[in-house]
Amino acid sequence: MREVVLTPAERTAASEALHARARAFVEAFEAFAAPPESFDALACDVARFQAEASPGFARLCRARGKDPAQLRRAEDIPPVPTDAFKLTRVATFPPEEAGIVFRTSGTTIGARGEHAMRTAETYDRAALAFGRHWLARDLDKRVPVLVLGPSPEELPDSSLVHMCASFAQAFGRRVAPEATYLVKDGVIDLGAFDERVSRAIVEPVPVLVLGTSFAFVHFLDAVGDEVPFALPPGSRVMQTGGYKGKSREVPAAELRRSLATAFGIEERAIVSEYGMTELSSQFYERTLFDEDARHGVHAEPPWARVVPVDPVTLVPVPDGEIGLAKILDLVNVDSAVAVLAQDRVRRVPGGFELLGRAPGAPPRGCSIAIDELLGRSGGAEA
Amino acid sequence: MSAEAAVLRIVSAARRLASVAGPSREALVSELALSTGLSREGVELGLARHLELDPSPEEVAALVASATPASAVAVVLSANVFVGALRAIALARAASPHVRVRPSRREPVFARALVTELSDPSVVLEEALEVAEVREGELHVYGHDATISEIRGKARPEVCVRGHGSGLGVAWVTRAAPLESSAIALAEDVVPFDQQGCLSPRVVLVEGDAARARALGEALHHALAELGRRVPRGEVPIDVRASASMWAASLTYAGEVFAGEDHVVAVADEAAPAALPPTHRHVLVVPARDAAAASAAFAPVARALVAFGCDDDDAARSVAPAWSRRSPLGAMQRPRLDGPVDRRDPR
Repeated sequence: MREVVLTPAERTAASEALHARARAFVEAFEAFAAPPESFDALACDVARFQAEASPGFARLCRARGKDPAQLRRAEDIPPVPTDAFKLTRVATFPPEEAGIVFRTSGTTIGARGEHAMRTAETYDRAALAFGRHWLARDLDKRVPVLVLGPSPEELPDSSLVHMCASFAQAFGRRVAPEATYLVKDGVIDLGAFDERVSRAIVEPVPVLVLGTSFAFVHFLDAVGDEVPFALPPGSRVMQTGGYKGKSREVPAAELRRSLATAFGIEERAIVSEYGMTELSSQFYERTLFDEDARHGVHAEPPWARVVPVDPVTLVPVPDGEIGLAKILDLVNVDSAVAVLAQDRVRRVPGGFELLGRAPGAPPRGCSIAIDELLGRSGGAEA
Repeated sequence: MSAEAAVLRIVSAARRLASVAGPSREALVSELALSTGLSREGVELGLARHLELDPSPEEVAALVASATPASAVAVVLSANVFVGALRAIALARAASPHVRVRPSRREPVFARALVTELSDPSVVLEEALEVAEVREGELHVYGHDATISEIRGKARPEVCVRGHGSGLGVAWVTRAAPLESSAIALAEDVVPFDQQGCLSPRVVLVEGDAARARALGEALHHALAELGRRVPRGEVPIDVRASASMWAASLTYAGEVFAGEDHVVAVADEAAPAALPPTHRHVLVVPARDAAAASAAFAPVARALVAFGCDDDDAARSVAPAWSRRSPLGAMQRPRLDGPVDRRDPR
């Protein structure tokens, strides 16, 4: 394998060029145009760059017997497991060049994973483009955006909070932060929620509610059997993430039903988002705008692919079979273009199904199991 | 019969089972290889080196002293390392002259053979023992924390449940230790039972810098390869292979990995609980600049730390949690028969 040493200037220039190519995918999507080049070509170029700029990825390629120079198909790129983000920096640039650092939520004793980005510009463009497409493409004016989560000031290293903030800025009305971010110090401000919803009903204007599954469970628990929070017509909800022990766990369909009842909206207006700190792209259910779509199936943007792979060999499994999620993300220019998540997925028409976290090896003998020791959660966005 | 004599009778029964000249030895090895997933050589190694057949009188006295007298004891065994049945039954018999034994459904072979060979009416097999029907005395439960909790929930309030849960072994190689012989000794701690026991080291902390940890890791890789030729690894379940694949890839990115046919040794610059390796001969080697750094490195997993191996017992005493069983390197999986392996509070 050819050893290449990039100077800092060459590295930055190479990164910028790759970011520009990734943004061209986003721009083409926004313009309803075909992607400007093949996914495989850009993915393999990003992988080659990462092998040159990141010794860890170069080692991984060698261990998998892959010569980056010879890569032609994205699915051949060795994926970086999400656990690696907890063990070391997964980055092509030195720490002092980081523009922003996102961190996974902590576990009881586990380390927090970090995803450092040299620049968040491409991330923001991609997140907004795909978020708008599946959550807000029909809105012809700004609407009240309510985030059942903390503000970026309270949680500046959360990728989910960052994304919600960019949605609030792009789709939302200009209001005081406390009217948008309705969780402070772990407590939901139901009064503020009620006030903004009441005004929206009077106007009337639809609202966009963003939150995690556990925040919605807390919301429903707080509301009880009353239904005082019916939303204006046209309102929609984005729900994301697992529970991580932060609330009782409610099956997805049951949570969706309860939310639809509490908010007085159709279940189809409740859209699940799948993302994780280690990625720069997100995936959405298409139910809000596609009447043929069903819940449980997430769509990918043109700049990301989810490939179910065999958990041992990492070879893609046949369509329809369950595998671990190998996620190819062209926007992860400065970290890992291929990420191996611990989620089980299956390809289906229209996208992929998310089937929960792959359990670690169950306990054998009296040797403690990793999950037993860590009580850990998956890599969902924090 | 004194409790000490009863314990020694159990040891004698185990000795007869393990005897190379014993008539049932061949069948026992074959059955154990099937039920445990270990290679035949792995089973032989367990019988030859890891069954505690020669306790001193002091050790037996200590074992008896560690048992709380009870009117009766019911022992619920897990698919533990198979030789563990000897200690579990001995502890129960030391506590009471009325012992019932429920072997693990997955690995009943050795416990069944031992009780049969013992042929003592005070120790009986009861494979269908229902926990809720135990009316007096104690329940000695071996298994994972979830199993123990479940059994606590089912047990009658008048029955005392002593739980011996799962755990982890860690080794500490001090600055004074020669690396090559330490690696050979560590391999002897890793290979038995394919690391399915709580006494087996899965993390090795090396006093010194990254280069020293790497040197130990490489030496351990060679030692495991050598020992693996004589004692091949048994069957590796598919879910362990999947975890191992992800673990090795993460450590390849974060550090350095030495992969052999029957083992993987990873060397990382910093310890992280998330890097805890799976079982079946996977070892993480991490440098620690001094004893304080070593303590800090395993602090997050200290509650699970059952076994602590070290080349220097004085050093081990200053670093190891009080409840962990300290052993020299190479002897971590050969604990003296002087009480429970797991010294954490069983209640």
